[in-house]
Amino acid sequence: MLQHGTAKSYQSQFRILLIRLCILSTVVLTAFLLCSSVALGQRRPQRTPVRRTAAADYSRFLHTTPKHRQPCNTCHKVPTRNWQEASSFPDIADYPDHAACVSCHRRQFFRGARPVICTVCHTTVSPRADERLAFRNPKHARQFTIEFPHDRHQDVIAINRRSERTGVFRRVSFYPQEPEKKYNNCAICHEPSPDFTVPPAGGWLDGYTPDALTFKTVPRDHASCFSCHYKTQTPTREECSGCHKLGVTESMVALLPKRISMKFKHDGGGEKRNHVQECSSCHINITKAQFARGLKPDVPITSCTECHNKDGLRLDLIGELVKIDKDRGFVCTYCHTSDVGKRDAPASHYMISGRPPMTRSDVK
Amino acid sequence: MKRRYPTTLRLIVRPLFVLLFCSSLVVFGTAQNPANTEGRGVLRLRVRVKDGEATRGLARKRFFLVRGTLEQNRSWIQESQTQAPVSRDCYYRTAGASQQLISWLKENDCESVYCREIRQDEWEGQNAVPEFRQAVQAGESEFKNPDVARKWFTVNLAPEIRDGFYRINRERLKRLLAAAESTSGAAVQSVMTDRNGTAYFTDLEPGVFVLTNLLPTEMTSTFVSWNCEVQIKAGDLGTERPFLVMNRQERNVKCVGVEKPLPVCESGTGQ
Repeated sequence: MLQHGTAKSYQSQFRILLIRLCILSTVVLTAFLLCSSVALGQRRPQRTPVRRTAAADYSRFLHTTPKHRQPCNTCHKVPTRNWQEASSFPDIADYPDHAACVSCHRRQFFRGARPVICTVCHTTVSPRADERLAFRNPKHARQFTIEFPHDRHQDVIAINRRSERTGVFRRVSFYPQEPEKKYNNCAICHEPSPDFTVPPAGGWLDGYTPDALTFKTVPRDHASCFSCHYKTQTPTREECSGCHKLGVTESMVALLPKRISMKFKHDGGGEKRNHVQECSSCHINITKAQFARGLKPDVPITSCTECHNKDGLRLDLIGELVKIDKDRGFVCTYCHTSDVGKRDAPASHYMISGRPPMTRSDVK
Repeated sequence: MKRRYPTTLRLIVRPLFVLLFCSSLVVFGTAQNPANTEGRGVLRLRVRVKDGEATRGLARKRFFLVRGTLEQNRSWIQESQTQAPVSRDCYYRTAGASQQLISWLKENDCESVYCREIRQDEWEGQNAVPEFRQAVQAGESEFKNPDVARKWFTVNLAPEIRDGFYRINRERLKRLLAAAESTSGAAVQSVMTDRNGTAYFTDLEPGVFVLTNLLPTEMTSTFVSWNCEVQIKAGDLGTERPFLVMNRQERNVKCVGVEKPLPVCESGTGQ
């Protein structure tokens, strides 16, 4: 009896132990999952998931559809027949011919008076109407991401030994110091753009209109690619996947780059125009970037504080940090518009000023 | 009455409790600080070279940072030093480039035809570079557009002339990079100097690194190789004096390059 009772007691204690173990394991597992999701959430950019419907939607062409994953030149011809009318260089300036679609979608082509499949390319669905939408259609999300190794291209185009012959920013574009010789540099692809002086919806923030030279463009067509990668230099014009990587998600490309220091002017820097530098003098991460994916044209604060935080010269940065010390609601305006200027200054701004990082909530 | 578990249970369950408790502390701790970026360093390079009589910043040259000491990285450093580098002039002579093209590259201080846009007198007329003239003519017949033909002249150049020099150097670089990554067990970082010879390595883990140019840098009459140890400290913002790199031993220079004369080209014309 006693032995039986002891065994029962052990059994119940064992059960309690098991329950405790289960609870603790659950807590650990939950914490782990929480941690993973936090980390992943920080790394992944927000994107619209690809629309997947049970019934096929023939008004949208998706490159992710398994049967659409043929070699690109199955449908796209480079250059297209219309390139001389539509472009200043041999380019893909139009949608593929009907044959590319009809070979599989004959049934959808001849369904009803206004087949929905025609709306992928045509503005009007009618046998007599031939007008097509702009190629590529800017209203559609992008199904591909672009791979562009900045480091390799810099190694190829930008290597030359004499420092005095490199290009510099001028008022209108990127000219070399010797006007008759135009050395290649970042300006092959990145130029000032008048598009950026058009105010965004809702107007410019704080009424501050940025100078045209505040922004530089990114390539929106194949002009700067095909000038080298056309026939034999791989990836050639027919090796689309060398640069265009099919994404699992679709994304809209922002035409305006995100600016942190909206008030910075590339041709500024006082009478001496100290801002007129080579691009990579400030955009220090570009020279090591192997991909365009996730690339940010970020500039470290050290590029600014060489001049803007020097005793006896200028104390623009520390001056504003001191004002935050006195008033937590102070908005930094020297470099930033109010959307950025009202945020907490990043740790780098404090550290470069020889102060411990803090937030506005720390101000008493 | 004090409860007593059987010995086997105590041996198994108690360590398990302790282990799980510790794990949960670690996991929660990590969740609170998912991206610990503090305690990393920055290396600001300033590369200057004495080339002939002039001293100048070494513009647009790539430098690499390999984890570990010189001793730990000895194998690939030795490999890089035993490889005979190819000079620009020797390469283009071997590739069958015209004297005009070789002179064009030299006068413009270019390593390839991608260096700058070509002017009209360089693709037509008496002083034209034959390779440019042929390429522009081929483009005119292909594109039926003189502007495209001129801007896109490189698409009609022979591959050896177009980017052959870059490709042979890149192949050598790839091999050395693979060896350096395999020896150090870490990814190799690289940056290119700006026109003043300045470059930044950012977000570095504290520790010892080898600063190197992997492939020797071609000067007017010499090749220069740099392989130096660098100590990166946590929280270093690179705002102090830059890490001065040079091909001569001078005051404040922390990394002195080893110079070797340029090879004499096979054709005998040399540099």
